Amino acid sequence: MRTLWLSFLATGLGLLGYLALGQPTLPEGPGKDLVLAKCQTCHDIGLVARERLSRERWDAVLDEMALQGLKVTPEERAAILDYLATYLGTTPPPPPPAAAAPAAKTGAQVYANCQGCHGPQGEGNPPLFPPLRGHAAKLLGTEGGRNYLLLVVLYGLQGEIQVEGQTYNQVMPGFAWLTDEDLALVLNHLLTFGAPQGFRPYTPEEVKAARAKPLTPEEVHALRQGLRLP
Amino acid sequence: MEKVNRRTTLKLMGLGAALLAAGRGFAQQTPTADQLVKGKDARILVLSQRPIVLETPFALLASQPERTPKELLYVRNNVDLPGYNTVEGASLEGWTLEVGGLVDKPFTVEAKELLSLPQHEVTMVLQCSGNGRSLYQPRPSGNPWGRGGVGNVTFRGVRLKDLLAAKGAKPTEKALFITAHASRQGNAAEFVRSVPIHALEEALLALSMNGEPLAAVHGGPVRLVFPGYFGVNNVKWVAKVEFTEAENTTAEQMPRYRVPTIPNTHLPFLPQEPGSRYPYSFTNSRPNWLVNVNSFIFAPLEGQTVEGPYVRVEGVAFNDGIVPIVSVEVSTNGGRTWHQATLERTGRSYGWVRWRATLYLRPGEHEVMARAWDAAGRSQPLDGNLAWNERGYEYNGVMRVRFTVA
Repeated sequence: MRTLWLSFLATGLGLLGYLALGQPTLPEGPGKDLVLAKCQTCHDIGLVARERLSRERWDAVLDEMALQGLKVTPEERAAILDYLATYLGTTPPPPPPAAAAPAAKTGAQVYANCQGCHGPQGEGNPPLFPPLRGHAAKLLGTEGGRNYLLLVVLYGLQGEIQVEGQTYNQVMPGFAWLTDEDLALVLNHLLTFGAPQGFRPYTPEEVKAARAKPLTPEEVHALRQGLRLP
Repeated sequence: MEKVNRRTTLKLMGLGAALLAAGRGFAQQTPTADQLVKGKDARILVLSQRPIVLETPFALLASQPERTPKELLYVRNNVDLPGYNTVEGASLEGWTLEVGGLVDKPFTVEAKELLSLPQHEVTMVLQCSGNGRSLYQPRPSGNPWGRGGVGNVTFRGVRLKDLLAAKGAKPTEKALFITAHASRQGNAAEFVRSVPIHALEEALLALSMNGEPLAAVHGGPVRLVFPGYFGVNNVKWVAKVEFTEAENTTAEQMPRYRVPTIPNTHLPFLPQEPGSRYPYSFTNSRPNWLVNVNSFIFAPLEGQTVEGPYVRVEGVAFNDGIVPIVSVEVSTNGGRTWHQATLERTGRSYGWVRWRATLYLRPGEHEVMARAWDAAGRSQPLDGNLAWNERGYEYNGVMRVRFTVA
């Protein structure tokens, strides 16, 4: 009896620790990827994930974000509002959509996390966010570039960099809160923006191994400075 | 269910601590304040990593009742300048400040030139206008500040009016506002704020804080400081100061950082139905300018056990500095009766004034409340929620602390 009770409490405490320290993430639901793509361009997703607001208040927040530079079509805006009001509303959210067809996730879906900054086709948004199309290929063709690309996606980047003759100096957040599988998927998706011949795709095991030694965004920057990029 | 004895509790607490420590190990994605801003105390709460928003835990704020050191001071950045996340000073070299708009002789000045002009010092409360936001019900959107979005600091620098005089420049009669722009280096987002021209009297181009070069994360090398005004108006990394006929129209001036008011009245705010929306405009709302009357209880702290029967209650009180704080009262019976606390000093001040009271309390649980009054008759509401507004600004409800007398 006591063991059962102890393990129950231990799980509870562990969960509390996780909740207290983990990066807040968005609940699953239709529109989540769109929210990630649009909001993370300018700020932490935590600012969104911790809110619990009425539809009316979310509507007001979206108006305010439009003033701050949010660019969405009317359809996207409606989808974002539906998601926020449903899953981050004042009443408990509905259970996640039944896994009717557990369709395998694709790299393109995970890429929704990146496209807000780097563009749907990896075209970038100079002078704020560098392109990935073409540039990812250059990185992968450089010694150490494969490992760097994994680390920058995992831990983020802070510091000035040069891409295609243009200077960039924005902070890139890390995406360590994505699963190993998701990270491998999105990294392999980047290959569609150009990869050297005979390139070996990333595996979830490789991502897992990279988590063993966490880096700061500045350390990732130092690593990049060490690459001999053309 | 089996009764949990002391040993089991201790074991569980150890287990919990171990789990928390393990959690910290793999939760690399949740950095601590010192990892985000070099030189900050690791115990500061991280409300947002991008932009950087850090709150001082209340017990730490209370541990430094004279002056808030740079390691503990809260951070509310709307913009993060690349490379400025440190409490070390930023270089004045190459920094220029443009002064223009409705002024007879616009000019540009090298920041290092400011060092050769007369220096002036002011101790003031720096407070985010969202401080206390999480005490509103329902909770408004935005960073969930407790009461730690505040500090008492001493800025030193050159008065804006002294700089104008040194350059032989004068704002024209049409100039009704001072509009300051933050630097946009490194493609930083735009940040602009306007304050009434009256603020020119005390406006300071701050170069240092608490006797040290102004921390880069707090706006160094040059921050335009308006004593008595909420934090948002004190533009960090100031690059341009304009004299203008109207308030700026960027989002930080409207609809952000405003509260509803009745047009052409002098009520501090227009009460709202908590949870409702409001169609903010320049005429039906006002900006978060002057700091409202407020007080905090620094001792006892919530949940503490103190020796009785004589219990010392102490804290700080402040307002916009236009008139003095004249009294602080404390109550232990929910506001039915109030005792006068002793103020550390009288007179106008932009900094906070410390107060203390000694209460005779029987052993057991107590709740103490504190409320400040200033010479203009302004005070704090017993129920802070009556000022509810959808963005959660300017909370100044009476603070209540529960503690135990042994």
